[in-house]
Order: sequence, then C-alpha cells, then structure tokens
Amino acid sequence: MFKDEPGKQIKNAETIIGPSVKVEGDFVGDGNVIVEGIVVGNLKTKNHLTIGAEAKVNAEIEANSAYISGEVTGNLTVVGDVELTASARIKGDISASSIAIERGAQVNGRLNMNGAKKPELTEKHENKK
Amino acid sequence: MYLYIYDTFLSDKKYYSLLNKIENRLADLEIKGKVCRLNILKNMKEVVEDGIKQGVDTVVAVGNDLTFSKIVNIIAELNVTLGIIPVTKSKIAEILGVPEGEAACDTLAQRLIQKIDLGKISNQYFIDSATIDDTNVILSFDKFQISSIAKNALVTICNLGFLADNQSIYKERLSVPTDGLLEAVIAPIKATLFSKKIKQQSIFPFTKIKLDSKAEPVTVTIDQQAVFKTPLEVTVAPKKLKVVVGSKRLF
Repeated sequence: MFKDEPGKQIKNAETIIGPSVKVEGDFVGDGNVIVEGIVVGNLKTKNHLTIGAEAKVNAEIEANSAYISGEVTGNLTVVGDVELTASARIKGDISASSIAIERGAQVNGRLNMNGAKKPELTEKHENKK
Repeated sequence: MYLYIYDTFLSDKKYYSLLNKIENRLADLEIKGKVCRLNILKNMKEVVEDGIKQGVDTVVAVGNDLTFSKIVNIIAELNVTLGIIPVTKSKIAEILGVPEGEAACDTLAQRLIQKIDLGKISNQYFIDSATIDDTNVILSFDKFQISSIAKNALVTICNLGFLADNQSIYKERLSVPTDGLLEAVIAPIKATLFSKKIKQQSIFPFTKIKLDSKAEPVTVTIDQQAVFKTPLEVTVAPKKLKVVVGSKRLF
C-alpha cells in the first residue's frame, strides 16, 4: 500500500512539478499531478495528486485522490482516498472518504472522513470566481 | 500537384546521388512535381507563393530539421499540405514517422495526412520547440507562475516532443502534437566533469503562457532559427498544419 506507486508515477501524469521548480499562485489542473518541488498558493486537480518525499507544499489542496510523502501546510480536501506515507508531514485538516496513514507520518490537524463531495467542490470553486 | 523544395545545402556534390535516387523513386510512384532548388537568390517564401498560384496543393521540403522549421512558418497560413523528405537524421521526421532518404518517398505516396498543432510566438509559428537557456525566466500561466530554483536548467516550450530518444513520453501520451496543447518543460542540468545530466523534468501542459524574466530580458530561440527577447506570449495554434505522416509516427 505504501510502496512507491510506479503505475501512477508517470503514466497518465499530465503535470509534473519537478524538484527544481517553484509554483506560486492558484494551480488548477484537470489531469493527474505529481509534485516534487515547491508549491505556494492553491493546488486543485480533478484527478489524482501525488506529493513526493522532497516536495514542500504550502497550499490549500483539492483533489480526487491523493498520495502524500512530502510536507504539506494547508488543508487537504479529497473526494476519494488519501494515503500518507511514513515521510508525510501534514499541518492542516484532512477531509476525505478514506484515509490510510503509515507509521511515522505526522498529521497535525483534524481528520474528517465524511468525504468531500464533488458538487461541493465545484460550488466552492464557482463561489470563489 | 506537388512542389519539391530542395534546401540550399543540397547543392553540395555529396548529395547528388541521393537526390537522383529520390527523384527516380518519385517518378516510379508517379508523384513527381515541380522541383525548386533554393539558392541565395531564390527565397523560400516566393517559391511557395508562386507554386500555390500555379495550383500546388502539396509542398514537399527536402532537407533537414531546419528546412522543415523554415517552411512550416511560411505555409502555416496557407491551405496546402506539407510533406517532408529528410536527407539526414531528423528529429521532426522521426516523430512524424517519415524515414530518411529514398524511403520517405513511399511515405509521401501513401498520403496519410494529419492535422497537427503549432506553437506561436509573435506571429512566428514553430513546429518543434522554443528554448530558453536561462533560469531567470518566469512562466506565467492564467493564475499561477513558475520559476526555476535550479542554477542550470533548460526551459523548453514543446510541441512535437521534448525527448525524441525517450519514446515513453509518446507511449504514455505525455506529449501529443494533436491534443491542442503545448508543454512547458523545465529540465535541470547537472554538469559533471565529463557530461551533462538532465535530472527530473517538470512538465506543464498549456494553451497560452507569458514568458518574462526576473532580471534582464532572456533570449527565446524558436526551432533553432529565430530569436526573440522576453516579455513574450506563447500560444498554441491547434490543428494548424496539414502534414503527411508515416505509419510509424510516435503519436
């Protein structure tokens, strides 16, 4: 469960934020997103989000599903499943349908397992506009 | 009707034999047309425009990647199909599935046509890529900005593909020249004593971005020929070019 996810690493990844890149602002993606670098602002994707062990994310996150190994400061709202590996460091609330946490992972925040529904995500998104 | 444009470097004697073979093969396949050999006095744009007035519907560029890039910019706005015959190793031909030399004539005769996207910077089209060899560049998307934190990095705006030798990007459909998107690729380069290694790349698909810089304007090179300075806007021109492709194309 917490091994590297080779199937999802590159396959169908549409956006890859590599270790040498800093993204600032409201990042919105439709496809799978892999983060290995720095993100500051908001991070939204309608698909799968992978945050690598070296990544530093200081953002409000919305995704369909997520696999997190890096450092996240901000709330995480996920429609489906969230997996946190041993190296994950989360400072913020997590809302998802199911959450898997490996021994060693740090979560400082509230966990909500009612799940985030897709329509709510959309409404929220539209209200912001 | 076909118009064959031979690039200037093909006037060298060493290409005579190959060009003869190509011409014979075109005659066998019954797709011979008007041949135009470029020289200092013959401008590619004038040749294409004259040809179209005479009823040419397919322009075939005979040469290398630079030839194909030059002609793309000329015919992008015209209603003609592009064919290519590479006489040397060509990245563009490899991606389009067109073999080198005489064998390209057979691909041309099959007339498998695809409409592909082009990139556009300040009214200049590009088929392959725009490169920026400066980490001071800032890529501004609609609502977010990207900058490189590596000391050495190559920033490339790609249409056809960013690594011709890494064909997995086509298999995984990370880069497709028919998807209506360009890709901004940031590749950090780690220079060692004997070689330069490219570390993990960042890839951002987009339809429109602005290029700017943190300090002095940076240089943007399009398809290894035209050079621009930032600030610039890069957009995609979806399905802009009709091109003859081979069955072994990578997309």
